[in-house]
Amino acid sequence: MTAPLLQIDGVTIDYNTKKGNLRALRDISFDVNKGEIVGIVGESGCGKSTLISTILQLLPQNAEWKKGAINFKGKNLIACSEKEMRDMRGKDISVIFQDPMQSLNPVITIGRQMVDIQHRSTSPYAEKWQKSIDMLSMVGIADAETRLKQHPFEFSGGMLQRIAIAMALMSRPDLLIADEPTTALDATLEVEIIKRLKDLHKEMGCSILFISHHLGVIAELCQRVVVMYAGSVVEFGSVDEIFFNPKHPYTRRLIECDPGHIKERAKRLPTIPGEIPDLTEALEGCIFQERCSETIAKCKTAPPPLVSVGQNHQAACWLNHNQEPE
Amino acid sequence: MSDPITDKETKVKMSDHRQSEFLKIVGGVAKNPLGLIGLIIVGVFVFCALFADWIVPHDPVGMNIKDRLQGPSTTYFLGTDQLGRDTFSRLIMGSQVALKVALPAVFGAMFIGLTLGMIAGYGPRWLDNFLSLIFDTIRSFPTVMFALAVVALVGPSLQTVVFVVMATSIPIYGRVARTQTLALRNSEFILAERSMGASLFRILGIHMMPNIIGVLSVLAAMDIPTVIALEAGLSFLGLGVKPPTPSWGSLLKDGYALIRQTPWLIVAGGLPIIITTLGFTFLGETLRDVVDPRLRKNR
Amino acid sequence: MIKYMIRRLALAALILFVAVTAMFLMIRAVPGDPVQIMLGPRATPELQASLTAALGLDQPIWKQLVIFYSKMMQGDLGVDVFSGRSVTQIVMQQLPYTLELIFASIIWSALLGVIFGAYAAANPNTFWDRMIAFVSVSFIAAPAFVIALLSLLVFAVQLRWFPAIGVGEGFWSRLHHVVLPAFAIGLSWVGYIARLVRASMLEVLGEHHIRTARAFGLAERRIIMVYALRIAILPVITVIGVGMGFLLSAAVFAEIVFARPGLGKLVIDSITTRNYPVVMGAVLVSTGLFVLSTAISDIVNAWLDPRSRQSL
Repeated sequence: MTAPLLQIDGVTIDYNTKKGNLRALRDISFDVNKGEIVGIVGESGCGKSTLISTILQLLPQNAEWKKGAINFKGKNLIACSEKEMRDMRGKDISVIFQDPMQSLNPVITIGRQMVDIQHRSTSPYAEKWQKSIDMLSMVGIADAETRLKQHPFEFSGGMLQRIAIAMALMSRPDLLIADEPTTALDATLEVEIIKRLKDLHKEMGCSILFISHHLGVIAELCQRVVVMYAGSVVEFGSVDEIFFNPKHPYTRRLIECDPGHIKERAKRLPTIPGEIPDLTEALEGCIFQERCSETIAKCKTAPPPLVSVGQNHQAACWLNHNQEPE
Repeated sequence: MSDPITDKETKVKMSDHRQSEFLKIVGGVAKNPLGLIGLIIVGVFVFCALFADWIVPHDPVGMNIKDRLQGPSTTYFLGTDQLGRDTFSRLIMGSQVALKVALPAVFGAMFIGLTLGMIAGYGPRWLDNFLSLIFDTIRSFPTVMFALAVVALVGPSLQTVVFVVMATSIPIYGRVARTQTLALRNSEFILAERSMGASLFRILGIHMMPNIIGVLSVLAAMDIPTVIALEAGLSFLGLGVKPPTPSWGSLLKDGYALIRQTPWLIVAGGLPIIITTLGFTFLGETLRDVVDPRLRKNR
Repeated sequence: MIKYMIRRLALAALILFVAVTAMFLMIRAVPGDPVQIMLGPRATPELQASLTAALGLDQPIWKQLVIFYSKMMQGDLGVDVFSGRSVTQIVMQQLPYTLELIFASIIWSALLGVIFGAYAAANPNTFWDRMIAFVSVSFIAAPAFVIALLSLLVFAVQLRWFPAIGVGEGFWSRLHHVVLPAFAIGLSWVGYIARLVRASMLEVLGEHHIRTARAFGLAERRIIMVYALRIAILPVITVIGVGMGFLLSAAVFAEIVFARPGLGKLVIDSITTRNYPVVMGAVLVSTGLFVLSTAISDIVNAWLDPRSRQSL
């Protein structure tokens, strides 16, 4: 079995804030294989943005690495120098951000921006320009020549996101990180973008780390899923296992609460009561205990480790330890 | 039924609250090193201005020809000018002139600007447009040019200087007061007051004004150095206070004429202006930092 | 873009119209015979009579206003009391010197201000950042004409590094003569612009598109200078346009202190000799300059930032 493309191993990141040390990522471990699409599911505040920033090594000044490693194509990204990271950003690892309206420079034309990100290539300007046109056509933007001379505010959200995809895939990266690319778009656009991503994935064969809180999209697009809560990985496994055989109370509640999953008509949509805990306070026990309806005594005293609970399936919950797999 | 606003107890509590607010602000300013320097400089300035008549070592106005154009010495700390007057005494006296112009000008402008701004913000649209147009027109004149035009028409004197300096400052306060009034106009507590039938005067005077005054005070602190500089500038050009009244500007004027004979007059005129304007600016900047976030917190 | 330009210039014309009316009313508002005021006590009865007729002062006020405007539109700002020369001609002769001084002041102070501000923003909360902040506030506070006098004293009279008087002839001499006055005028601007650029840059550097640029591995220098600065500079342009008023005021003093020809010296001399038409003409021209510069800076702003073309 070949080594995974991306292996995240026990990564813990703190932020030094005025209120104290905020533990944004707690012992994160999962991996992404070559050509695979892995989804990350979690509500706001679960640490997704910090995770992306950590992989790219673009954390703010007050972030502190506590432990763990991120292995990408054999190198530990955390130990890499800034120059080595910069060589990889936009070439081996690309990102599509959540807010297409804000993610592109408003006063520079699309064309100029698309040429700029090809800054490593020594080809002449005309070639870079042509490549930009080709990429735009590939994502379905008509009249690409004219479009390149326009500014971001002249495009709709859906088109901007397609441009962002074009930019991200321009260098044929090994890993594409998509940070909630469809959250800011309406449902019909979402379907379109997902379809396009699927086609492009088939064509280019890159790995994708797809972050979303839309379970339906995750189910359709991804092969494996990571469930994150308040900076920790609570469950990780194949799509089938996670959706049909969830082994963590949070995952179970998430699936129950997903509007697409609800079978019966009800007056009110189910929610998970409570809020994520204050991450500046020291934690004793499981991170989900306050909102969990199935806690046992052990949940309050020790944090459950991520253990195998089936074929291609890991979960971090004490409940699973009462019934060890045979 | 007792009106909570006029009820004596509430009044006392409110004025206590205002006092402690004030002290808190002063404390906040003093904690900042720049603010502290500003407070000290302004304190010295005000002290000199108020007690100038008593602390001057020599008569700043009387002529003493036999002692003219001396350099610094133990009798005359900064030397004498072309009429034998002690430069140091004139320097101290100049602070009084500066204050005499700055205070009425700034407070007059603040009062008028505040009133007009509140009317513009609270009143009907046509009145707002009219007043805003007036503000913008005054602002479209380069300040000194405007001052010179007025002085040309009316003739130089202390009153003219005060009037001109005040007129150029009014739009600054007016615009800010207008913006604040517009913002507060639809806030909840104003609507509540209106629904209780509070009179226009009460709304503007008792409820809106205290909120706006904070912001305007910061503006005033930043405006005072401009005003002092304008007065000094006009006096330097010979278009300000009439001699023999010693203004820092007139010290500069004499110093300029005698620049090759003695450098001390220019130093005596220029240095206090720089130090005082620095002091007020530091104070104003720190005040703004202290007042601004607090204003937001209180909302 | 063209449409925006036209609309903006129309607005400028409107403001100027109102300002001129205000000037007109101001003259009328002063107690006394306006002709006496305009010509001053040195006027002869013949001059008074001819001016009264020319201004149509026997006519109703609104008609006077119309005459005033029509003359202005034709470029006629009246005549000099002593020489009879056209005021317009006199003012236009002096204007280039003032413009030269203002231009020189803006160039060096904007350049230095942007450099300091960008550096401070790229290295926030370091010693140098705090130093720049302190120096900026100090520069902003000190009045230009005092700086002018002190630098005259120290650099021209005492040290003799620079000439104390005049404008100079020939490029290098003119440059030599303009250094001290431009320094005095520009000093407070360095502080002002540095602070503005710092704040503006910090805001831009926090925006999402900068994050994207970093995520694509663009060099930090390019990000700061091309991507961030281009947006951060916009407020500076607006500020310079609005600051023209301050610059004109400061230039008046600088011209007096360094005995340079220009609008400032013209106005002061005319006030002393009670040559009121020249005073009014110079004030009107400088106001027009101010209004025009705010309009131009808005237009340049719109050119650089396509987003702002939508407003107005």
